[in-house]
Amino acid sequence: MSATAASIKGRAFGDHLLLALVILLSIVMIAPVLWVIGLSLKDNTELMADPNSVFHAPYTLKNYINTVGTSSVFIWVRNSIIVSGGLTLGTLILSSLAGYGFARLNFPGRDVLFVIVLFGLAVPEQAVLVARHQIFSMLKFHNTYQGLILPGLSAPFGVFLMTQYFKAIPKELDEAAMLDNASRLRIFWKVLLPLTLPAQATLGIFTFLGAWNDYFWPLISATKKDMFTLTVGMASTQTNFAQSEGIGFLMAQAVFAGAPILIVYLFFQKYIVTAVSGAAVR
Amino acid sequence: MTADIEIRNVSKQFGAMTVLDHLSLSIRAREFIVFLGPSGCGKSTLLRMIAGLEAVDSGEIAINNERIDHLPPGKRGIAMVFQSYALYPHMTVRDNMAFGLANIGVPGKVIEARINEAARMLEMPHLLDRKPGQLSGGQRQRVAIGRAIVKEPKAFLFDEPLSNLDAALRTRTRIELAQLHQRLQSTMIFVTHDQVEAMTLADRIVVMNNRKIDQIGTPMEIYERPATKFVAGFVGAPAMNFVDATLDRYGKNATARFADGVSVQTEIASSQLTDGKYTFGIRSEDVRIVAAGQGNAGGVVDVLERLGERTLIYARLGDGQQIVGSDAGNSRVAVGDRIGLAFDGQKSHLFNETGRAWHAREA
Repeated sequence: MSATAASIKGRAFGDHLLLALVILLSIVMIAPVLWVIGLSLKDNTELMADPNSVFHAPYTLKNYINTVGTSSVFIWVRNSIIVSGGLTLGTLILSSLAGYGFARLNFPGRDVLFVIVLFGLAVPEQAVLVARHQIFSMLKFHNTYQGLILPGLSAPFGVFLMTQYFKAIPKELDEAAMLDNASRLRIFWKVLLPLTLPAQATLGIFTFLGAWNDYFWPLISATKKDMFTLTVGMASTQTNFAQSEGIGFLMAQAVFAGAPILIVYLFFQKYIVTAVSGAAVR
Repeated sequence: MTADIEIRNVSKQFGAMTVLDHLSLSIRAREFIVFLGPSGCGKSTLLRMIAGLEAVDSGEIAINNERIDHLPPGKRGIAMVFQSYALYPHMTVRDNMAFGLANIGVPGKVIEARINEAARMLEMPHLLDRKPGQLSGGQRQRVAIGRAIVKEPKAFLFDEPLSNLDAALRTRTRIELAQLHQRLQSTMIFVTHDQVEAMTLADRIVVMNNRKIDQIGTPMEIYERPATKFVAGFVGAPAMNFVDATLDRYGKNATARFADGVSVQTEIASSQLTDGKYTFGIRSEDVRIVAAGQGNAGGVVDVLERLGERTLIYARLGDGQQIVGSDAGNSRVAVGDRIGLAFDGQKSHLFNETGRAWHAREA
């Protein structure tokens, strides 16, 4: 056997091993999701008697009908969409403007300010939680959307990412646009911002997912049931070891809860892959 | 539209470093002027100051007798072609060309007409709906020129626009630029460190060195009567031969004597010259190859460069200095041969220690 053939064979074995590993990991990831869907299609009493009944008929949509009729899950989903969407939009706007400023404008104290912003990356949320709680309490921001959105808008990672991205865009483009008689705002809006779309997508996806899955701050700030985000709301229904609501009902809520983020994944799949692989390469 | 450009006593500093030092220059309307010099001489900075991309620390810049150095770049009526082309990557060629016109409120129909005219002139109507990423280097270059043309500027500025092209395309584009200048009859300022580009394109060349202008002149003036030793060495390929020499100034014309006793009778008047150390300079085409024992000096052939129409012969003199001479394309000289070198005294130059040049009287 030639060295090349041996190398190809070795590579093929490696590929197969990798494939097997990917399949195994996929099963580990997908199994709980299928389990949730299965449970949501079963009657609560039947599940109480035998959890393994999920593997055989009869199946029912009763839990979904009950969820639509009685659960607060839609309010929580709405809250999560408003908070995550608002936070994402705000972060993109602020990070882009700040990034442009740090990358392109000369102003006194710029470099010091940038270091201070970066320092924000090193401060854990828990360290400022009490102070933040007091301030928000004073401002009567708890149980409001601004209370849930505002803390996330200080996004040092976003500012850093956008600054680096703007820096990587050749300055000749600004200069060409200046010679084309474009104002600074028009240069930002028409020339530079469209070029940062990949970074915007990366930042937007990470911000949205982070906000969607955030549990800690909403647990403190949202104490009224109609201001719960999805994570807090879902947790609140499990207080009685799922006995009061029924596991099938809870799982139907979970399916509803997961739907919006699934849609985000479907629409932004390409960007998510790029964002994650880009992050891995870096 | 075209413009006289006047640069008066302009200086520029970056921090503690002076980049341009009290520099003055008049550029006539419809002139193709080339700023030529090595990297770091300040030529691009001067161009960017005319464009408004760098502030003027002191001095004035005027276009058609109106000061423009306080105006933003977009208000100066100037178009610039960048070395990197600086096309907007997310816009089509058409949008790239339209952007500047839309910003000053030119009506859509006029924009369309100008784009079509420029595209026709540059033979690129088929590229209008493509994005820069779908174009070759040469095509991008055309688009960058097209983007400048549609603005109908008072002057075109080119910042080393050919340096990213391969050799063949560079030559072709050079010719096209010359044709474009003839057609548009606009003032054009072109920055390059390539003396071939400068010689072939310029009406006048501004040779810059070390923050200052060393010489302004037509290509042949620069080539035949360089003002300084730097200009003499920078313009022309191969570079001018330089040999340290002492002068005999007893006759009407000075005689240069080399360290190994070789002497060359120049056509440079002795009365112009003073005592001191000099460098004798002569171009390779003014050094004929003759049989050993003849001519002004003798040497051994180090290297041959066959260029087709002529052969460059690098010969080492007795004192170790190298002289490049020129022979016929089919020269029979071989490496290691002992040859004679005949210097054309009428074409020789002398440079003093400060680099100032003297030439033979003009015919």
